[in-house]
Amino acid sequence: MTSPSTALVPSVDPAGDDGGTRETVATSAHVGGGRAWRRFRRNRVALFAALVLSVVVLAGLFAPLLTSFDPNLGRRLGDGLRPPGGEYWLGTDHVGRDIYTRLLYGSRYAILSGAQAVVIALAIGLPLGLTMGYFRGWVDRVMMRLVEAVVAIPAIVLALAIVAATGPGLTRAMTAIGIVYSMVIARLARAQVLAAREELYVDAARTVGSSHKRVMWRHILPNVAPALIVQTTLLFATAVLAEAGLSLLGVGARSDQASWGRMLADARISLNQALWPAIPPGLAVFVTVLSFNTLGDGLRDTFSREARGGRLGVDSVRPSSRPVDAGPADPAAVLSARGLWVEFPWPDGSGDDLAVVQDVSFDIAPGEVLALVGESGSGKSVAALSLVGLVPDPGRATAASVNLAGRELVGLDFEALRRLRGREVGYIFQEPSAALNPAFTIGRQIAEPLREHLGMGRKEARTRALELLARVGIPSPADRIDDYPHQFSGGMAQRVVIAMALACEPTLLVADEPTTALDVTVQGQVLDLIGDLSSDLGLSVLLITHDLGVVADLADRAAVMYAGQIVETGEVATMFANPRHPYTEGLLQAIPRNERRSGALATIPGTVPPPYAWPAGCHFHGRCAYAEPACLAQPIPLVNSGVPARCRRVDELVLGGVRRSDGTTGERM
Amino acid sequence: MRTPLLEIDDLSVTFRGRRLLPWRRRSEVRAVQHASLEVDVGETLGLVGESGSGKSTIGRALLRLVEPDGGRIRLGEVEVTSLPRSKVREYRRSVQVVFQDPVASLNPSMLVGQIIGEPLYLNLGLDGAARRARVAELLAQVGLDPTHATRYPYEFSGGQRQRIAIARALASEPGLIVLDEPVSALDVSTQSQVINLLEELQAATGIAYLMIAHDLAVVRHVCQRIVVMYRSRIMEDGPADRVCEAPAHPYTELLLASIPDPDPVVQREKRRRRRDLTAIASANPSSEGCPFAGRCPHTMDICRAEFPDYTEVPGGGRVACHLVGSSGGRAEPSGESVDVAR
Amino acid sequence: MLKLATGRLLAAVPLMFLVATIVFVLVQANPVDPAEVLLGQDASEEAINATRARLGVDRPFVTQYADWLSSAVRGDLGTSWFSGEAVTSDVARRVPVTLSLVFGSLLVSLALGVSLGVAAAVRAGRKVDRFVSVLASAGLAAPNFWVALLLAYLFSVRYGWFPAVGYTGPTDDLFGWVRHMTLPCLALGTSAAASIFRQTRSSMIGVLQQDYIRTSLAKGMPRRIVILQHALRNAAIPIVTLAGFQVSTLFGGAIFVEQVFNMPGLGSMGVDAVIRNNVPVVLAFVMVTALVAVLVNVLLDLLYAWLNPKVRPA
Repeated sequence: MTSPSTALVPSVDPAGDDGGTRETVATSAHVGGGRAWRRFRRNRVALFAALVLSVVVLAGLFAPLLTSFDPNLGRRLGDGLRPPGGEYWLGTDHVGRDIYTRLLYGSRYAILSGAQAVVIALAIGLPLGLTMGYFRGWVDRVMMRLVEAVVAIPAIVLALAIVAATGPGLTRAMTAIGIVYSMVIARLARAQVLAAREELYVDAARTVGSSHKRVMWRHILPNVAPALIVQTTLLFATAVLAEAGLSLLGVGARSDQASWGRMLADARISLNQALWPAIPPGLAVFVTVLSFNTLGDGLRDTFSREARGGRLGVDSVRPSSRPVDAGPADPAAVLSARGLWVEFPWPDGSGDDLAVVQDVSFDIAPGEVLALVGESGSGKSVAALSLVGLVPDPGRATAASVNLAGRELVGLDFEALRRLRGREVGYIFQEPSAALNPAFTIGRQIAEPLREHLGMGRKEARTRALELLARVGIPSPADRIDDYPHQFSGGMAQRVVIAMALACEPTLLVADEPTTALDVTVQGQVLDLIGDLSSDLGLSVLLITHDLGVVADLADRAAVMYAGQIVETGEVATMFANPRHPYTEGLLQAIPRNERRSGALATIPGTVPPPYAWPAGCHFHGRCAYAEPACLAQPIPLVNSGVPARCRRVDELVLGGVRRSDGTTGERM
Repeated sequence: MRTPLLEIDDLSVTFRGRRLLPWRRRSEVRAVQHASLEVDVGETLGLVGESGSGKSTIGRALLRLVEPDGGRIRLGEVEVTSLPRSKVREYRRSVQVVFQDPVASLNPSMLVGQIIGEPLYLNLGLDGAARRARVAELLAQVGLDPTHATRYPYEFSGGQRQRIAIARALASEPGLIVLDEPVSALDVSTQSQVINLLEELQAATGIAYLMIAHDLAVVRHVCQRIVVMYRSRIMEDGPADRVCEAPAHPYTELLLASIPDPDPVVQREKRRRRRDLTAIASANPSSEGCPFAGRCPHTMDICRAEFPDYTEVPGGGRVACHLVGSSGGRAEPSGESVDVAR
Repeated sequence: MLKLATGRLLAAVPLMFLVATIVFVLVQANPVDPAEVLLGQDASEEAINATRARLGVDRPFVTQYADWLSSAVRGDLGTSWFSGEAVTSDVARRVPVTLSLVFGSLLVSLALGVSLGVAAAVRAGRKVDRFVSVLASAGLAAPNFWVALLLAYLFSVRYGWFPAVGYTGPTDDLFGWVRHMTLPCLALGTSAAASIFRQTRSSMIGVLQQDYIRTSLAKGMPRRIVILQHALRNAAIPIVTLAGFQVSTLFGGAIFVEQVFNMPGLGSMGVDAVIRNNVPVVLAFVMVTALVAVLVNVLLDLLYAWLNPKVRPA
C-alpha cells in the first residue's frame, strides 16, 4: 500500500492533470485537428506571458544600456529613500541606490538563478526518475525510500541545511534548491513513466522488436515530455521565488549583489520609514513568477485538452418551434416524444450549432419494451438521456413535446424535472461499477432516492433496500448491503444499479446499453431480470443498444437510429423478418450468427458520417446499395407511403431480413 | 501429418502481487493452468472465453510479454519458453499482434507512417524510400489510402485504426499473428469489414491467426478450430462447427445459449434454454477442482475435488468434464440441486 | 483503522531514521571549524583543541552520529554551540509558535481554497470561474514574504490594527493570540489557498464528469447534495494528498513569515543557526520540522483511507 504522498503530483504543480476524458460527440470530431503549436498560438494569455518573460530577460541582458547608474553605489550622500521622480525613476533605497537600476540588474540574478536551479534539477532528477520508473524492481524501491526521505523535509528547510553545509552564497543556495527540486522532478518522471509503461502501445512497440532504449526514447519520452515541460516551467517560477526568499533571509545574494531578494531585505530594514522600496522588487518577482505560471498553464492546456464542462450536465428541454415529422402523440403512451433535437455548439466557437439528434419522435406503450437501436454516432444515448434533461454539457435539447404519462416535460425547470427523475423514470447505464459512487455503501445509495422522493426514514429505507436487493437476485442481501461498489463483480453491480433505479417504483425504465460491458453469460441473466421485472411490474422499458440480438431477446418494438435520425420503427418480429429500410437490412445481414460459414460476411461499406458531414437528404446515402441521386435532393420524412421507414424507395424495395439457413429456424439451439 | 506451426504444451502462468513485507507471501492469481493447443500453418485457431478465462494471457505469453512458470511454447523452429533474453527481439519477428483497443495500441505522438515503418526498419532493415514505398503498399493492402501515412492516429475512426494496427502487424512478415479481441470494440458494420479483411489477408499471405475473442459467432465464422477456456483452464476444443453445433462441455453449452440471436423466434427458444442452464455460483470453486463447479447444473462432488482429464470427443477435439467418462458416453448427474437464477 | 494507523506510524520510523542520517551527513560536511569561529582566529592551539573537545567535534564521525542519535531519541537534542543553552527547551518553546502559524494558515487556505474551488468547478468556463482562477494565479505568484511585508506595513505600521511583531500563546491570552496570528496566517495562507483552489477545481471538474454523478442526477437528487456530498467526497481525495504536501511547504514559508513578523518560532531559530553554523541547532531544526511534517502526513493518510474505501484493509 503506497502512501498517497508518493503518488502525488508535486507541490509546484497543484492543479494536477485530473481532467476527465469524456468528450461530447461533437467535439471529438473537431478538437485535436491542429498541431500543438497552432493550439498554443491561440492561447493569447499564454502568449502574453511569454512576451512579458522576454521583456524580463531582455531587461537584464541590456541593463547597462538601459541605465547609467551603478546598482551597488549611491550617487550622492543624502539621497536615501527618495520617492520616485526626477533622476531616480523609481526612487532610491535607504543608502541612496537607484531602485530602477537595481531592478534591471536584479532580473539577471533572477533568470540566472532560476536557470541554474532548473538545470541541476533536471540533470539529476530526470535520469533518476526515468530509470526508476522504467526498470522498477529493487532499484526503484530503494531509491523511492531515499526520495521520500528527502521530500519529507520541507524544501526550504532542506535547502537551508545544504547551505549550512556549504556556506551562504547565491550559487550555493540555488544549487541547494536545484538538488531539492530534482526529487520533485524524479518523482514526476517516475510516475509518468510508470503510467506510460502500462500503455498498450508500449506492448505493441516491444512486440514489433523495439529494444528497451528505443522504447524509452521513441515511445515513452515523447508522451511523457509534455508533463515534464509544464513542470519545468513551474519549477522555474518556484526557483525565482526561492532565490528571493533565501536572499531575504541573508543566505542567498550578498549585499553587493543586486538581486530582487536582496532588495527586499534592504527594504525591510527601512520599512518603518518608507514602504516604497519594498514594492518594485516584490512586484518584479510577482510578475515574473506569474508569467512563468501562466506560461506553464498555457502549455498544459496545449498538450492536453482542457476538461470540458465540469458543470453538472443538466439542462431542461426547451420548447421547439421546428416542424415535427411524425403523427400526433398517443394519449395512452407512457412516454411520448415529438420532434426532439439535441445540438452542440461548433467547437471552434463560431456560434453555429451542430445537431447530433435530429427530429426524433416515438411512443412507448404501458408495459412495452421499446428498443432504440443504433451504432456509435447514431445519437441514441444522447437522445434518451436528453428526454429527462440529462443533456451532456454543452448540448442543448429542444422538442415540440415530451409527454410522460400525461405530464408535459418540455419547458420544466431543473427542480421540476429532478423530482421526476428517479421517481417516475429510472435509469441504468452501461458500466455498472462506474455508475456507482465508490465512496458510499450500496445500501446508502439505494436508500437515497427512497428518502429523497418518498420521504422514507432511515430504517424504513433500509428495509426496502434489502427487499429490492433480494428482488434483483443478490444472494444474502443482508451481508452485502453495507459493502462498497468495488466489492461487487460486473453482473452483481448491474443488479444493484437496477435495484436503485426501481427503488421508487417508476413507470419507465431507461436502460442504456445495460449488458454491453458484461460477460455474455452474465448478460443473459441481466436481460432475464429486466424482462421479468417488466412483465411483473408492468414497467415500460426504453432499451438503448447496438446489439440486435439483445433487441430480439427483450424488445417488443424497435426504433432504428442512424446518424441522428430514426430511420425505421415497428414490431421487432415483423421488422427483423421484413425490414423496410436499407440500413436495417444491412445491420441484420452483417451480424455473424452461429451457423455454418457461407462465404465472406455481408458488410455495409463505408463509415458512419460525423455530424458535421450529414447530407441534407438521406443520411444513409453513400453507403446504401439502393441509393439514387434523388435521395440526396431533400430531407426524407419518417413515414413514406404509410410505412414507418425513412426511405423514398420504400414501395419499390424488397429487402432481406434475418437470414435463415436451409429454410429452417437457423440453428439447432 | 504436418508439424503444427505453433505448439503450446502444458503452459501455466501465475501472476504474483507485490511483496509488501519480507515475511509475507505474495498474493497469487493463476491465470493459466496446464493449457495445450496447436495451430497449423495458415490456419486460424479461435481461443474463446469470458473475462478472467486466461485467453489473453496465453497470447501475451506467446509474445513474451509475460513469463510463464511452466510448460513450453514452440513456434516454428524456436523454443520460445527457453529463449535467452538476447534472442527475444529476433524471435519477435515471427509473431505479431493486433490488440483490442484501437485507441490505446497506437502511439498518439507518432505518425501512422512511423508506426508502420518501425517494424520495417527494425526487422527488415528497410529505410528511406524503400521503407516509404512498403508502408504505402501495406496501407493499400489493408484498404487505406497511402496518403494516410502522414497523419496521426487520432484523425482516424476505430475501424481505420484497427486497419493501421493490422498493417503494422503484417509489416514484419510474421508466420503467426495474435489477434487479441480485434473487433470487440467495433460497431457491427465495421466489424464485418475488418473480419473480411483479415480473411483476405490470410488467403493472400498464408499467415496463421491465433484469434482471441469472446463472441462465438464471430469465431465460428473465422476459425477452423476453437478452444474454449474458463477461469484459467481449457474446457473443450475441436473443429469449429462441431464445437458450435454439438458442444461437449456444459460451459460451452451455456456460452452458446447466451449469445442472443437476432432472429426473435430463435431467440425465444434460446431464452428458455438459457434459463435452464443458468446458475449463480453458491461458493467459490476450489483451486483443485473444476472451476465451473457450482455454476454447472450438473455439478457432482468429484467436480469440486479434482479437475477432470481430457477425453476425446467423437467428431473431433477433446473435453475436460467428469460427465464424459472414459467410456465416451455421458454419465448421469448425481442430481445435486443448484440455485437457478430467477 | 487502528491497524492502519499503527502500520503507518511504524513505517515512519525508518523514514525518520533515513532523514536523520541524510541531514547529519549534510551538516557535518561543512569544513568550517566551530572552535575557530567561537574563539577567533588568534586563539591559541590549546584553547582551540579544548573547545573542540568540549563541543565534541574531535571525535570520529560515526561516534558523533551515534551519540547524537541516541540522545535525540531520548529527547535530548544537545546544547547550542553559541549560547550553551539546551536545544530541547528552546525548541519546546518555539514549536507552539510555528505550529500555530502553520495550522492557522492551513485552516485559512482550506476554507478559502475548497469553497472557491468547488464554486469555480461548477461554473467552469464562465466568467466567475475565469475571474477567480486569475486571482488564484496571482495568489500563487505573490511571494508570501512580500505579502507579509506589505500586510505588516499596512495594518501594523500604518493603521496599527494588528501587532507587528511577536507572539502570545493561546493559553495566556486567547484574543491576543488571534490578533498576533491574523496577519501572518493571511500572508502564509494565500499561496497555499491558491494551490488548494486549483487542485479542488481540477479534481471537482474531473469528478463531475464521472458516470456516478450522472447516476446521482438520474436518481433525481438535488444539486446541493450531488455537488457537496457525492462529488466532493470523491474529489477530496487528491485534495487531502495536496494538503499533506502543503504542510511541508507551509513549514518552509513559515520561516519567511516568522522573519518578517519577528515571531519566536522554529524558523527564526533555524535561519540563525544556519548562518552561524550552529550544528546542534541546525540538526534539531531540520529533524523537528521533518518529524512534524511526517506525523501530519500520517494523519492525512488516515483521512485518505477514510475517504477512499478501496484503500482500507479488507
